[in-house]
Amino acid sequence: MLESIASNTKEVSNQIATEEIVARRNDPSLLLVNVMPKEAFEEGHIPRSINLPLAQIETKARQVFPEIGRELVIYCGGPT
Amino acid sequence: MGLLEQMGYKNIRYYIGGMADWVEMGGPVEKMDLPVAHALPRQFIRAETSKVWSWSRWLEVLANWPLDRLVFFWLGMILVFGFVYWGAGIVMGWGLQAGNVAVKPDFEGLLTAIYFSFVTALSIGYGDVIPVGPLRILAIVEGATGLLIFGCLVSKLVSRRQEELTEEIHRTTFDDRLDRVRTNLHLVFSDLGAVLQLQAEQDVLPGQVLRRLESTVRVFRGELQTIHDLLYRNQVLPDEEALESLLANLAICLQGVIDLQSSQLNGQQRSMPLDASLHAISNLANEICGECVPRTYAPAMKQWMDQIQELARKIA
Repeated sequence: MLESIASNTKEVSNQIATEEIVARRNDPSLLLVNVMPKEAFEEGHIPRSINLPLAQIETKARQVFPEIGRELVIYCGGPT
Repeated sequence: MGLLEQMGYKNIRYYIGGMADWVEMGGPVEKMDLPVAHALPRQFIRAETSKVWSWSRWLEVLANWPLDRLVFFWLGMILVFGFVYWGAGIVMGWGLQAGNVAVKPDFEGLLTAIYFSFVTALSIGYGDVIPVGPLRILAIVEGATGLLIFGCLVSKLVSRRQEELTEEIHRTTFDDRLDRVRTNLHLVFSDLGAVLQLQAEQDVLPGQVLRRLESTVRVFRGELQTIHDLLYRNQVLPDEEALESLLANLAICLQGVIDLQSSQLNGQQRSMPLDASLHAISNLANEICGECVPRTYAPAMKQWMDQIQELARKIA
């Protein structure tokens, strides 16, 4: 599912490891973005993450995180 | 370049493993509470529940018991009370009286006590046997409790039939809905085919056909939403066969839309509402794939879903 926002997962070089997310769990400068649909998000997500369904990225991203340089971590249900 | 990069965001990283890896590594998972519970201050909620617990909670517990357990509890309670009436007569000397004569502490007396217990619990109260002294309080307590439990029993009996009916209704409406989705998808498919046919014959489609196409695509969007909801929400699931036929129909319709797009449908002929519907269809179908839906399905099902996602990406 991530493929549609990152052009091709296999070539994605800017990945983040689980350890780093855990280590920086209290760091407000790191913004976790869950791109699953709202229902799936409600069922369970990494604490402190915000929900921006894939389908709404184009329209809502600017409102949700207006800052261009903001440090974002994008994730969804699993490795797809 | 990914979509967000295209929008100008510079500092993006991807957590490829997603929720699956996160859970596997033992990371904490947060669930969304009901918005109402969120809005209320904590202490308020706690105070509310503890107050309810104090007196009516046990009644609720009682009401949730299965039928046979309730019956046994009720009978047991009556027997225990009967023994207490009888025992009180022996130990303390003030027991039951039948016609101004104290009930004897023998086996016949025990039967009389149990009989009295039944008469009291059912709130019949013939009055041929009467309690004396403090036993009267006990008799009132038994009468009240007996009534409550008996009420629970009766309402259980009545509502059980009701529940069966409601479930039946739910199932039929659900099946009806699925049938409707399937029929509509079939109609969408034949409509798309007809438009394709027309397009092959003449270069420019008449406005009437175009409007029909718009409405067809809108219906398709609605049904796609239904299937999407079906996969994402926690509700009754159709059996695999029905789901597979739905997914297959969906894939065929998507293919139809793609065929239509790849043929003559050029800019001049595409209208705003049509574009909007197509966009929504692409977005919705893009969220249907074997790995991104919350439940796990059979491999065949996953294949269909993956195919649908693949098709969705071809809709521009």
